[in-house]
Amino acid sequence: MRERRRETTPLGDLKLAETAQLSDDFIRQLSAVGEVDVLVGIPTFNNKDTIERVVRAVQIGLTKYFHRERCVLINPDGGSTDGTPEIFKNASVSDFEIMLTSNPLRTFHRVSAPYHGIPGKETALRTLFVAADLLRAKACAILSPASLSVTPEWIESLVRPAYRESFDFVAPLYQRQKFDGLLLKGLLAPVVRAAYGVRIREPIASDLGLSGKLARHFLEQNIWDQDVTTFGLEIWMTTTAIVHGFKISESFLGPRIQPAPQFGQDLPGTIRQVVGALFKCLEMQESYWLPRTGSESLPTFGFQYDVALEPLKLSTKTILDNFRSNIGQLVPVLESILTPATLVEIRKMIDLPDKQFRCPDELWVKTIYEFAAAYHHSAINRDHLLQALTPLYRARVSSFILQNTKAPAAKLDQRVEDLGQEFERQKPYLIDRWSAKAGGER
Amino acid sequence: MQSSPLWYKDAVIYELHVRAFYDSDGDGAGEFKGLTNKLDYLKDLGVSAVWLLPFYPSPWRDDGYDISDYTGIHPAYGTLDDFKAFLEEAHRRDIRVITELVLNHTSDQHPWFQQARSSRDNPKRDWYVWSETPDRYKDARIIFTDTEQSNWAWDMSSKSYYWHRFFSHQPDLNYDNPAVREEMWNVMKFWLDMGVDGLRLDAVPYLVERDKTSCENLPETHAVLKFLRHRLDENFSDKMFLAEANQWPQDVRAYFGNDDECHMAFHFPLMPRMFMAIKLEDRKPLVDVLQRTPAIPAACQWGTFLRNHDELTLEMVTMDERDYMYDEFAKDARAKLNIGIRRRLAPLMENDRRRIELLNGLLMSLPGTPIIYYGDEIGMGDNIYLGDRNGVRTPMQWNGGWNAGFSDADPERLYAALISNPLYGYQVVNVESQRRSEHSLLSWMKQLIRVRKSTRVFSRGTMDMLQPLNHRVLAFVREFEGAKILVVSNLSSQAQAAELDLRRWKGTVPIEMFGGNPFPRIGDLPYLLTLGPYQFYWFRLRQL
Repeated sequence: MRERRRETTPLGDLKLAETAQLSDDFIRQLSAVGEVDVLVGIPTFNNKDTIERVVRAVQIGLTKYFHRERCVLINPDGGSTDGTPEIFKNASVSDFEIMLTSNPLRTFHRVSAPYHGIPGKETALRTLFVAADLLRAKACAILSPASLSVTPEWIESLVRPAYRESFDFVAPLYQRQKFDGLLLKGLLAPVVRAAYGVRIREPIASDLGLSGKLARHFLEQNIWDQDVTTFGLEIWMTTTAIVHGFKISESFLGPRIQPAPQFGQDLPGTIRQVVGALFKCLEMQESYWLPRTGSESLPTFGFQYDVALEPLKLSTKTILDNFRSNIGQLVPVLESILTPATLVEIRKMIDLPDKQFRCPDELWVKTIYEFAAAYHHSAINRDHLLQALTPLYRARVSSFILQNTKAPAAKLDQRVEDLGQEFERQKPYLIDRWSAKAGGER
Repeated sequence: MQSSPLWYKDAVIYELHVRAFYDSDGDGAGEFKGLTNKLDYLKDLGVSAVWLLPFYPSPWRDDGYDISDYTGIHPAYGTLDDFKAFLEEAHRRDIRVITELVLNHTSDQHPWFQQARSSRDNPKRDWYVWSETPDRYKDARIIFTDTEQSNWAWDMSSKSYYWHRFFSHQPDLNYDNPAVREEMWNVMKFWLDMGVDGLRLDAVPYLVERDKTSCENLPETHAVLKFLRHRLDENFSDKMFLAEANQWPQDVRAYFGNDDECHMAFHFPLMPRMFMAIKLEDRKPLVDVLQRTPAIPAACQWGTFLRNHDELTLEMVTMDERDYMYDEFAKDARAKLNIGIRRRLAPLMENDRRRIELLNGLLMSLPGTPIIYYGDEIGMGDNIYLGDRNGVRTPMQWNGGWNAGFSDADPERLYAALISNPLYGYQVVNVESQRRSEHSLLSWMKQLIRVRKSTRVFSRGTMDMLQPLNHRVLAFVREFEGAKILVVSNLSSQAQAAELDLRRWKGTVPIEMFGGNPFPRIGDLPYLLTLGPYQFYWFRLRQL
């Protein structure tokens, strides 16, 4: 049983408020809002095409499901030059009023403020957490400004477990197209599952719910100047919530559609940020996960339904070509990361014909664990290490697609579950590699 | 008493029940002689008019709203001479008298109804609304949902149904009959000739019925009121009609007509929203309802109140608001009655003096003529274990002695038990003890009324709502004939700061009206005020 942490003291609140960097105008707006029950944050940076839809969905959601509560919608903006803050302020739901069966009893507050510091999610989220602390929010929801599929019901799904059911961290659960979120399904979620013992399916969510207590806890962590927050705040929030014993749940939100980049577009950058953050978290939190065995599923709110989603068109030929053309150059680097046995298996894949190309679960898990351990031991420059993972990830993606092109959703879910179990099965191997002295046997 | 046609606009009205106020003859219930004895108290409190609940002969199945003789006095309250003496003494103290007139219905014991039901051929038959079936006027809602299943009741004697919008023992008069209209004017004239200053017209929206309508607010009903008002204006110059129409402001507006129906009408939707605003700590409900309140003719006035002899009615709120009010103010289910909450002001405010003061501050500063319910000026409690609305009609608590100084009778003989619990009991909450303290609620109320009456800005002025960023602060400026008053109220339980845009009044100096202290002159910058929990300020804005 994880230990629950104690409530923050008022003195703690004061300390946080004193150390935060907020503009006078933002403080003025917050002081007008006062204490709130529900805080919804939408961090933005040049999101003019989608922000209005998200704001309207939030307003309707709050009106429908939290019409009695003191609510505020906050938009920390990283200095948009496309008019996003103005659209945020002016987005109206007056044309929906006749359809609403509820009217908010209270004033609905909308606060938009540019934040200090480098534009980026970490500064925006820190601003939101400071606001949640100052306003003593009981529950928060953070939404992506780019979502095309957000509905008013997302607000209820993300806020209610935190506001009414005493959960602290509400991860989203989306209906995804079967080849959408492969990094998540094939690496991030199963590693979190095996290491931390929690079967959370979206560990790097940009839409999530939080208790005010957890928002305050995040703010109190001495982490905000470190790389992990700069590049991987989402995974850090998830694992921190797990490690500190906060109550976690999932809420089904339905399909998630947003203007996504093409597969492979800045894949090295994504892997460096997201996987690097995961490895960094493993390093910071090793005392928690090293002794842990097994895994638990999470309580899930919401009725899970299926809708037909437009399939993602991915060309395995392009991905495989990319893998083959890069892997050769990287062998010297991989020799510093992987064991010889693993490297041999990988090299065997290069010559496989496209249709028979396979990266088996067992090999993939071993590869990831060896990368994690090498990262931990700083076997080579960490950026170079993460860059070397990119072609291997391409190989795994190709293999997964080729194997599952005709597989129905249920079958695919089973394959993802099998992979999770494989990560759990091989956890002792991770622990061995992780605990071995740097430069030990490869 | 000086003649003043618009006296009702500047009045502070005190609503009381003769039975509940003071028993001078030791029979356990108040009467006019007792009330007359206590007029000095009302004079000292500073009220300028009293509104009396029904005192007519009645079987008392609805606390007197079931009248069986419109021109008499119930023997329990005394005689017509007692009433005349009371009226004279009230006027001698510059206190006007408003009486209750139930236009819509009589008691089933009224001789008119007795004659009407005696035979289908009786000349009084058509004074009431009859039907062979209970199917007419099906679109009319039932008002007393807790007790009535239909608006029709079966009359055994004449073997037909009669129409009643309230209790089944209160048959509705038939205002389509000119004889009824003429007779009701005669009733009015009887009291007005005697010296009564105003008539509170009970349940006016329901006077006339028509098929396929809600039988409320019908043009024919307004025609009846215009007829009565026309007669009034022909005969008198400073009398007043006060309409009881529990409707939305835009519907109530019609009861003013073009200053040719009622002079005053209650603002029902405002009342629950004052409570809601304080509980929500948000000005939104008040601002919304004031925005929805239409302009009324210059000679007309809204009647505003916090509590009265009925339940805190929740008919004029949305379903969400009603649920919220029940959850917050009727945690004990016994407090619910019909579509409302049968509680007095102090228990609704959990006896929090600051909230009681703030609500009274709102009442006295918002547009309209304020009406105080007897006992609320000392923070009296209620008894939700009594049936119907009797829990808010218990004897006035004059002192901590025998029967709270209300009566010399044996306690068992009192018409209703005294409030005697440790929080609101007469030993703790009474006039005598509060008179002796300058800091009591009673002393504070006297001061509030005095300040309210020191200017006609509150009673006649326009209102400009301000929009400070802080939604827990309600701020507005009232203005009349060049005089200006700034009202700022903190609806929250915590200290608040508010920046007010007062540039329109730049150069004026706010003078706090209770203490007389000047505040910094208003300039171009936002005017910063800090307010303690539930605190409010009234500032006279003066060019100095």
